[in-house]
Amino acid sequence: MDEFEEKIIVDKSVLNEWKKWARKGDMRVKGYKIVEAPRGDRVDRISRERFMIVERPHAVVYQHSFGLLSRFYEGLIEGKLYGTRCPKCGLKYLPPRTHCWNPSCKLEETEWIEMPTEGVIVTYTIMAFSATPFLPELPFVLAYVKVGDAATALPIQVKEIDPIDVHIGLKVKIKFKEERVGDLMDIYAVPAEKPHPPPRSKEEIEWLKRELKIVEEWVNKHFPKK
Amino acid sequence: MTRVAIVGAGMTRFDRPRRELQEEMVAEAMKNMWEDLPNLETKDIDAAVYSYFSDHLEQQLCFHWIIHDYLGLSGKPGYRVESGGATPIDAIINAYMFIKSGVFDLVLVAGWEKMGEVGTAKTNEFIAMASDTDWDFMVGGYYNGYYAALEVRRMHLYGDTIEDLALLSVKNHNNAIYNPYAQWRAKHGTSKITVDDVYKSRLISYPYRTMNIAEISDGAAVMLLASEEVAKKYTDTPIWITGVGLGNDSMRPGDRTGNPAWLGLYPEDEEIWPKEEPKPLTPYPEMANFGAFRYAADMAYKMAGIDNPRKEIDLVEIFNPYDGVELAAYEDLRFAKRGEGKTLIREGITERWGELPVNTSGGLYGQGHPVGATSIGQAITLFWQLREEIYKKWGSQQAQIPSPRRALIHGHGGTGCQAGVVIMER
Repeated sequence: MDEFEEKIIVDKSVLNEWKKWARKGDMRVKGYKIVEAPRGDRVDRISRERFMIVERPHAVVYQHSFGLLSRFYEGLIEGKLYGTRCPKCGLKYLPPRTHCWNPSCKLEETEWIEMPTEGVIVTYTIMAFSATPFLPELPFVLAYVKVGDAATALPIQVKEIDPIDVHIGLKVKIKFKEERVGDLMDIYAVPAEKPHPPPRSKEEIEWLKRELKIVEEWVNKHFPKK
Repeated sequence: MTRVAIVGAGMTRFDRPRRELQEEMVAEAMKNMWEDLPNLETKDIDAAVYSYFSDHLEQQLCFHWIIHDYLGLSGKPGYRVESGGATPIDAIINAYMFIKSGVFDLVLVAGWEKMGEVGTAKTNEFIAMASDTDWDFMVGGYYNGYYAALEVRRMHLYGDTIEDLALLSVKNHNNAIYNPYAQWRAKHGTSKITVDDVYKSRLISYPYRTMNIAEISDGAAVMLLASEEVAKKYTDTPIWITGVGLGNDSMRPGDRTGNPAWLGLYPEDEEIWPKEEPKPLTPYPEMANFGAFRYAADMAYKMAGIDNPRKEIDLVEIFNPYDGVELAAYEDLRFAKRGEGKTLIREGITERWGELPVNTSGGLYGQGHPVGATSIGQAITLFWQLREEIYKKWGSQQAQIPSPRRALIHGHGGTGCQAGVVIMER
C-alpha cells in the first residue's frame, strides 16, 4: 500500500445528505426588503435614509480532523475517557495535548492514559441563553471539571441536579450518553455526592427560580418536545 | 528613536443595526476626525493598520482592501491585524511600532465591525468561534458561559458579589448618557439607571444579566498616529503614547489551573490564595485573574516609567465585555491587590467623580462593542479627555475629567487570551 494513500476504516459519513443543504445555502440573494433607517455619526446629528437589505444564506459543511487527538474522540465512542501524560514532567492533560506545554519539556510528545471518571467542579455557570445549537437545551449548567489528577479542567455540562444546587468543589461522576458520535457532548457530569450549595440569599434563590422558569417556558414555546 | 503621538481621532456612533456599509461608516469616522485636522491631506498618510474581527459576521474576507481603496489610499501599504476582541488595541500598538521603527511617519488606524446582519444567537456562535471550537465551543457555553464561569470562580475565591457587578453596570451605563456616540444613549436616551434596573434585566448566564454584558454593535472609529517631527504639522496638542504592552494566555480557560508557563512570574500573587481552598498547580492567574492583562500592563508601565499605577494614572478605559472583567482588571492592572478589585467600585474610586475614573466612555455596554472599533473608540474618549475637548466633541462639560495628564487603555480578546495596554499622556 502506498503510505500516502488515505484509507477509510470506519465510515459513518452523512456528507451526501448535507451537501444538498449546503447547496441550498449557496450565498446568492434569495429575498430583499427596503427600510428607512437612521444615518449619522452622533445621536444629535441624525438624518433618515432608505436602505435595501438582501437575504443571503451561507451554508457549509466542514470535514474536520481531530488530528493526533483522534484517540480521545474514538474513546468517547468506546465509552472510555482518555487523557495524556508527559513522560518527562508527568503533567496530565484533560483536555489532552499531543505535546507537553511545560516550557522546560520543549514539546515532548505525551502518552495516552485512561482517565478515571471522577472529578471536581472548579467553576460553573447556569446558562439561561446560549447560541443557536444549544438553545433547545436551555437552561443548563456549564462547568469546568478537574478529572482525576489532571492539571487542567475540562468543559462539560452538569446534569441530574437542580442548577441552583451546583457549586465549586462538588464531586462529580463523568457519564456517557447511550448514543455516542464522538462529540464532546457524548459525556456529561452528574453529582457524586450530596451538594453543599453556596449560601444564597432567599431573594437570590427566588430570582434564579423565576428566571429559569421564564427560560423553560421560552424553550418549550420555541422548541416543543415531541 | 522618535516619540509617537496621536494627532487626530474620529468615530461614528455605535448602534445596532447600522444600515450603512462598513466603508461608509469608516468614511463618516474619517470626516469626524477631519473636523479637527484641517491640515491633513489623504496623500500625507504613509500606511494604514486595519482592525476588524470577524470574517463570519462581515461575510467578507480581506475587508480592509475595500476600506483602503475607498479612503483613496491605493498604492500605500494597508495591513490587517486580527486578534479577536484584542484586534483594535493590537492595531493601535502595531501602528505605534510601525512609527517607532522609523519605517513610517504617519499611520492611520481604522477599525469597524458590523455584527447586526445575523441574529443574536448566531452572533454569539460566531464570536465563540474565537474560543476552542473542538472543546469549549462544543459544550454550548459560548462567551456568556466562559466569562460567567470565570466570575463564579472569583465570587468563590474573593467574595465578589452580584451587587458589585450591578454597581459597575450602573457606573458605566450612567457614564454613557453623556456620550453622543454611545449605543446605550442612542437606544435608551439620557435617563440614569439604578441597581434595580440592572436587577430587573434578564438572566443570561449566572451571575450575569443582560445589563452586565457588552452590546452587540455596529460602528467605526479611526485614529491618526505620527512621529514627533510630523506630529507638529497637524496639531499643537498631540497626545503621546509613552508605553505599550502585550500579553497572552491559554485559549481554553480551563487549562489555566495548570499552566507551568506562568509559574514563578508573579510570586507575590501566587501567595494570595484562600487557606481552605485546594491550591492548583499554577495559582496565578488561574481562572480568577487575567495574566495576559498583567503581562501587558507591566510591560507598558516599565516603558512609561510608572511605579505606582494607582497614583500615577488619572483616567482609565477597561475593555469590559462582562462586569467581572473590570473587577479582575483592577487587580491585574495593579490598581488593587489580587482579590480586592471590588473595593474600588464599592468605595466609588472608579466613578467619574472618583480618584481614578474608569470607562467615562460607558465601556462596552455603554458606548458599545463593534469589536474592531471598540478599543479605538475607548482610546478616542481618552484622547478627547486628555485634550479637554469633551465639551467640544460630546456637547457635555459634565463628563470632562478635570485636567487629566495620563491615561491608560486596556483591551483584550478571548477569555483574556490576548491583551494590550497603551499609556497616553498629554
